[in-house]
Amino acid sequence: MDQFVQAALIGISLGAQYALLALGFTLIFGILGVVNFSHGGFYMLGGYVAYSCVAFLGLPYPLAVLVAVAATAALGWVFELFLLERLVDDHLATLMLTLGLYLVISTGLLTVFGPLSMEFAFPVTGALHMGPIYVPRENLIVLAVCLTAIAALWLVLYRTDLGRGLRALADDRAVAMAQGLRPKLLFPLAFAIATGLAGLTGALVTPILSLSPGVGDPVLATSFLTVILGGLGSLEGAALAAFVVGIVEAFSSVYFGGSIGALVLFVLVLLLLVFRPTGLMGRTVRGA
Amino acid sequence: MRIKLLGWTELVALLLLSSGFVVPVFTRSVLAYSVLNQAFVGVIAAESVWIMLRMNLLSFATPAFMAIGGYTVAIAGQHNITDAFLMTAAAFLVPALVAVPLGALVLRLRGTYFVLVTFVLSQIMQLLIFETPGLTGGSNGISGVAAVTLFGAELGTNRLVLEYACGLAMVATLITGVLTRYFHQHFAGIEENEILAESLGLAVWRYKALGFVVAAGVAGLAGYSLVNMLLTAHPSSFDSSTAVDFIAYTIVGGRVSILGPVLGTGALVFATNLFGTHGQYAQGLYGVLILVVVLAARGGIAGSMAALWRRVS
Repeated sequence: MDQFVQAALIGISLGAQYALLALGFTLIFGILGVVNFSHGGFYMLGGYVAYSCVAFLGLPYPLAVLVAVAATAALGWVFELFLLERLVDDHLATLMLTLGLYLVISTGLLTVFGPLSMEFAFPVTGALHMGPIYVPRENLIVLAVCLTAIAALWLVLYRTDLGRGLRALADDRAVAMAQGLRPKLLFPLAFAIATGLAGLTGALVTPILSLSPGVGDPVLATSFLTVILGGLGSLEGAALAAFVVGIVEAFSSVYFGGSIGALVLFVLVLLLLVFRPTGLMGRTVRGA
Repeated sequence: MRIKLLGWTELVALLLLSSGFVVPVFTRSVLAYSVLNQAFVGVIAAESVWIMLRMNLLSFATPAFMAIGGYTVAIAGQHNITDAFLMTAAAFLVPALVAVPLGALVLRLRGTYFVLVTFVLSQIMQLLIFETPGLTGGSNGISGVAAVTLFGAELGTNRLVLEYACGLAMVATLITGVLTRYFHQHFAGIEENEILAESLGLAVWRYKALGFVVAAGVAGLAGYSLVNMLLTAHPSSFDSSTAVDFIAYTIVGGRVSILGPVLGTGALVFATNLFGTHGQYAQGLYGVLILVVVLAARGGIAGSMAALWRRVS
């Protein structure tokens, strides 16, 4: 039973991290119609920026996380505005552009920081003991921050004019533009929010997991998995699917070990994609 | 409608590839052999990507089908089956057969969804290799694969391996060339506007399925060539991230003709080797080149050369 609770807690904590990544990914797809292959790159970049702020500038960790969010959001904004915007309606071209950016980011980080993993430790250590159950404090903090960020994103998207504008563009761009919404202004902003979320996740999670060039690849794969499961472009679906993926991953690694859990998830997603491409929530968000 | 089986672009591509038979006459440099070998494997894999791109479908599944082709040959080698013709046929047919039911499933998807499903496919293949150690050797792979034999003679020396890789690349180019020439208009119709093509009476699914199956077979040949070069079938050779390299070869080379994957692979493999032992940095170059091609030179190397030629003549 203890093991069960422990696995569930790990699953929820993983789920919150995946949700943050998947929300950004699905936001970009839903609003711009772009599959962002550089999402893992922004995650890595977030981690490295936070690391540099702590290690070289001596900033306190929370401030370093904020700098990482700002830096990744700024890069996302610039990339969308100057490069992606020109070809935003061409699925294949935008996919190639984000892939190119990912290769540039990961090689750039490799060149600057080298291939080895960084010694980047979470400032809070230790664990809470609740009877026989053991919960690392750092995971609790990350969970709290992730849930706060998800709540903030929800508020922005559903309770502000900016969010209404973004969702209108996702629903029907032509009608939204006829109503006076300006994609040229909102697209870079949406992209920046999404990459900022990836940067935030990177800055929060890499001190716990690891920080080396290449940590972006599995992040991209997990984001794909989650977003497909939830239905491309669907925000509620992505959040729900993220917790499903996190919990399945946690339980399979505790009870089966190895890569069986991942294999099952991938096959599940493959079947879902083929038979129900709209995902768990079952709503066609964008034709692709 | 007169259909040509091969055009001048295919002939130029074959001529370029035949360098594999010429170079050993002049040099015995291990480096030159190694670079050429890598290029021949890359050309075949890039041609597999290119076939799907002809229908505006970007495939990340190349490493998965390469793995099927490569492991087929390695497993056959364990049973002392090494005949060149038999192995070439098997490396093509086994992945192609696997692609038939898979194609029936995944070709219902268009554009973005197709890209994602092929990405998932290559991840699944990696995990499958690790989970079936009895068949594939799991994380250890299958080492000491027997050298291929042609009419009973073993093709074991560096030069013969290179020439064999060259031969495989030419076979793959012939298959790719004939397919894309014969169905040129069908593929072009699908690339231009799939819905329109379908409404004009083109059985789109038939040609997409055919393309997918042949692309899988061609990728299988690439896997065979790779295993034959390394004499090892290892999961890391078929890592899903290598799909990005083959896509880069094709896009940078240009998608207008078969010269694209050939020139793109040649240029990028050569450039990668300029990095020497720092090959990991080559991916940054690929990234920059992809950005440049997509933003500024949509035709890639082959397209830009063609445009230049038109301007000069």
